[in-house]
Amino acid sequence: MSAIFTVDPRSGVPLYLQVIEQVKRHVALGSLAPGEQLPTVKALALDLTINPNTVARAYRDLERDGVIETSPGRGSFVSSNGSSANAHRAIDDVADSILNNAIREVKNLGLDRAQVTATFERQLDRWFPIGEQK
Amino acid sequence: MNATQTIPVAITDFTKRYGAQEAVSNLTLDIERGSICGLLGPNGSGKTTTFKCLLGFARPTSGSMAIEGAPLTPATFEYLGYVPERSALYEWMTGAQHLEFNRRTFKSYDPKRAAELVDLFKVDLKKRVGKLSKGQHTALAIVLAFSTRPRILILDEPASGLDPMFQRAVLDLIIEAAANGATVVFSSHQIGQVERAADRVAILKNGKLIVDGTVDSLKGSEKIVEAIFDHMIPDLNGLAVDPRISRIVRSGRILRAYVNHDSEGVARRINELAPKNVSILDLSLEDIFINAVGDVAAASPNGDR
Repeated sequence: MSAIFTVDPRSGVPLYLQVIEQVKRHVALGSLAPGEQLPTVKALALDLTINPNTVARAYRDLERDGVIETSPGRGSFVSSNGSSANAHRAIDDVADSILNNAIREVKNLGLDRAQVTATFERQLDRWFPIGEQK
Repeated sequence: MNATQTIPVAITDFTKRYGAQEAVSNLTLDIERGSICGLLGPNGSGKTTTFKCLLGFARPTSGSMAIEGAPLTPATFEYLGYVPERSALYEWMTGAQHLEFNRRTFKSYDPKRAAELVDLFKVDLKKRVGKLSKGQHTALAIVLAFSTRPRILILDEPASGLDPMFQRAVLDLIIEAAANGATVVFSSHQIGQVERAADRVAILKNGKLIVDGTVDSLKGSEKIVEAIFDHMIPDLNGLAVDPRISRIVRSGRILRAYVNHDSEGVARRINELAPKNVSILDLSLEDIFINAVGDVAAASPNGDR
């Protein structure tokens, strides 16, 4: 298993958060299926050329959040228990983080709530034209 | 004492003076097992002095250095691999002779491992050290350092003179060693290498430890709060002495506060000055380094974030 994750060490976003975000994104997209094995801490650290403790911390947090399960000696796996709920939560997390960044950026342009809402609706109309359900 | 409880590399209240010059002042640094600590600092900040004393090439003026809870002895090098800043290799000996020397000296020397590393870095073992390029010289030192599969690695600029592929190979070796439980202290002028490989970073300036923390926690706490004002920047109302702020830079109608913790709180406080908008910018390790070392006004927000 190689290079399904990518991180940017130069980013100001802590690396363990980037790893968490990547795993959640793949779980949300289904490219990591319930029950599927994740790379070992060592393998992923070497694959991304990042610190092993950083990967271990990301895995611990993912386990705490119920996204993955770790069994000693066997490795880490995408949770299969209540997996659809987890995948949905992972999708929500990733979506929240993307929209959070976008809204922060437009707010930084000096737009107020009504202006942001108008912009958001204009974009919604573009991606979800009226009459379409999904 | 239990080996897992002993601190692998412990520097306690270490001071080194050369004449009247204090190269390192009261440095205390414990490196935990399995950690990779990146030591950063401008030239002359005391990094190499620290490495020299850790390796027994010089003696501390005061304070102590302990490896696995004990002072350094020749036997320590059975499990300690090192790359010094100035070569410890003999110019008149070939690479092969150095390997043979280490084979005879260390029980832990692993000839198969050495052969793999020679292959990886394409070291010409037949050449005398004096005839090697800077990069090949470093590569031979790396081969020797890792060929005993050491559980402690002390590496002063271990990638200097290497091309990018070999630099990455050195990082891979460091990361692999740490994943197997080794403890690593290394320095590099390339902050990107520390940013990738290290979990812990210590920054020295003028012989003093000015930043010590995990790379992720530093990135989580060190931020720039940037405010843009409509007209003039108003009276800062005591902001300059706020302990959360290490530095304030003003340019035109833009105010930038370099924050060491609680950026949200600082943003709220600056918001009371009624700026047009306030944003919190993330910093790379390089930004954090330059900001800490401080004599360059070039610290800039990271990209477009």
